[in-house]
Amino acid sequence: MPAPRVHGRAVETRKAELVVAVLLVLAGLVVIADSIRVGISWGDDGPRAGYFPFYIGCALAAAGAIVAVQTLLRWRALAGSTFVTSEQLRPVLTVLVPTIGYFALIATIGMYAASAIYITAFMLWQGRFRVLPAVAVGVGVPVAIFLLFEVWFLIPLPKGPIEHLLGY
Amino acid sequence: MQGFAVALTWKNLFFMLVGILLGVLIGVLPGLGGANGVAILLPLTFTMPPTSAIIMLSCIYWGALFGGAIASILFNIPGEPWSVATTFDGYPMAQQGRAGEALTAAFTSSFVGALFAVIVVTFLAPLVARFALKFGPPEFFAVQLLTFCSFIGMGREPAVKTLASMMLGFALAAVGLDTVIGTLRMTFGTTQLLQGFDFLIAVIGLFGLGEILLTMDEGLAFKGKPARIVTRIVLKTWAMMPRYWMTSLRACLIGCWMGITPGGATPASFMTYGMARRFSRNGDKFGEGE
Repeated sequence: MPAPRVHGRAVETRKAELVVAVLLVLAGLVVIADSIRVGISWGDDGPRAGYFPFYIGCALAAAGAIVAVQTLLRWRALAGSTFVTSEQLRPVLTVLVPTIGYFALIATIGMYAASAIYITAFMLWQGRFRVLPAVAVGVGVPVAIFLLFEVWFLIPLPKGPIEHLLGY
Repeated sequence: MQGFAVALTWKNLFFMLVGILLGVLIGVLPGLGGANGVAILLPLTFTMPPTSAIIMLSCIYWGALFGGAIASILFNIPGEPWSVATTFDGYPMAQQGRAGEALTAAFTSSFVGALFAVIVVTFLAPLVARFALKFGPPEFFAVQLLTFCSFIGMGREPAVKTLASMMLGFALAAVGLDTVIGTLRMTFGTTQLLQGFDFLIAVIGLFGLGEILLTMDEGLAFKGKPARIVTRIVLKTWAMMPRYWMTSLRACLIGCWMGITPGGATPASFMTYGMARRFSRNGDKFGEGE
């Protein structure tokens, strides 16, 4: 996405690179730590569970560290390239934040109720639909998905207290 | 030759048509692939004679492969592991309004590849079977290593970044129950992580969510890309395709080789893509719809 002009605050590419690199190193460290917990040595009957993931974690952390160091070494040269402007960030966050909330809701009240809330809220708030079509679609889609997966295909999806009340 | 005569009766041609249609339908849906499609539609074939049933099931499989290409090209969401490579160029082509060409190229190449494979299998099956049976864990490892090395070799991004993403993928794949001794790895006490991460979840998260967020960035218009296949575009693309005969032949050879050696379709598609890029004079334009 070429950013024509930078209005307001913006996140630079070099900062984004650095943050991602550090996150990769952290992910690598998590993998290493858990591999050490389950054992990275060679047991009586073959490699222990952490043998292979340990080296994966090492490579991941090393690759992340190299990217971080490379970014820092060329910090000056990398200046000026914009990763995202605040104008671009806002619409992205309007989707990203509710979606993260949606995932949190799935864990607590189940997928169907969460989907109904998510779809209805999005149609009212972003789509500027009137209340009746928004609620109709918001409730209709989860019901259709419920019938399709739960009843016909017998594939259980995450359910919450509401479905339990209805006997599922 | 007698086999072709059996396959080309009207009844079997009809089953092929039905199978392909159902397969495309299944392939377009992300998450349902060739193997799932065959499993779901298996009951349909119970009443058929065995030959027709096999014909229909393999057509479902081929159809699903092509259906995966449709979703890759129009939505940039690969329905199957092996259509990931199709998104690299197919989606940029669709963005340039050349979706018709991309689709035509995809299904024509599928057809050429399939025909090539069928001929190879027909004439070389006994030889090939003896060879494939010799494949053990070391050979599998070699094939996969070759594939992953070709990722690093063909990537446009710095090799370290490719390595980092690959290692992240490996780490995600390691989550869950250890298949050898049953120890729990990196589940941190949650039951959901027991089974680890499915490939499709990673793909939908990376490509699907990414695409939706990108569309938000460009304004609320998630439409996919329009495609109209008119005869003129099909003919034009076909006229263009012979120029790529070398690429096509190489792809056929790699595909058959990887199919015989149990490497599977996914490494094959990536390797072919990498080879095509390496051998192309304007390799830099790859990924932009060249």
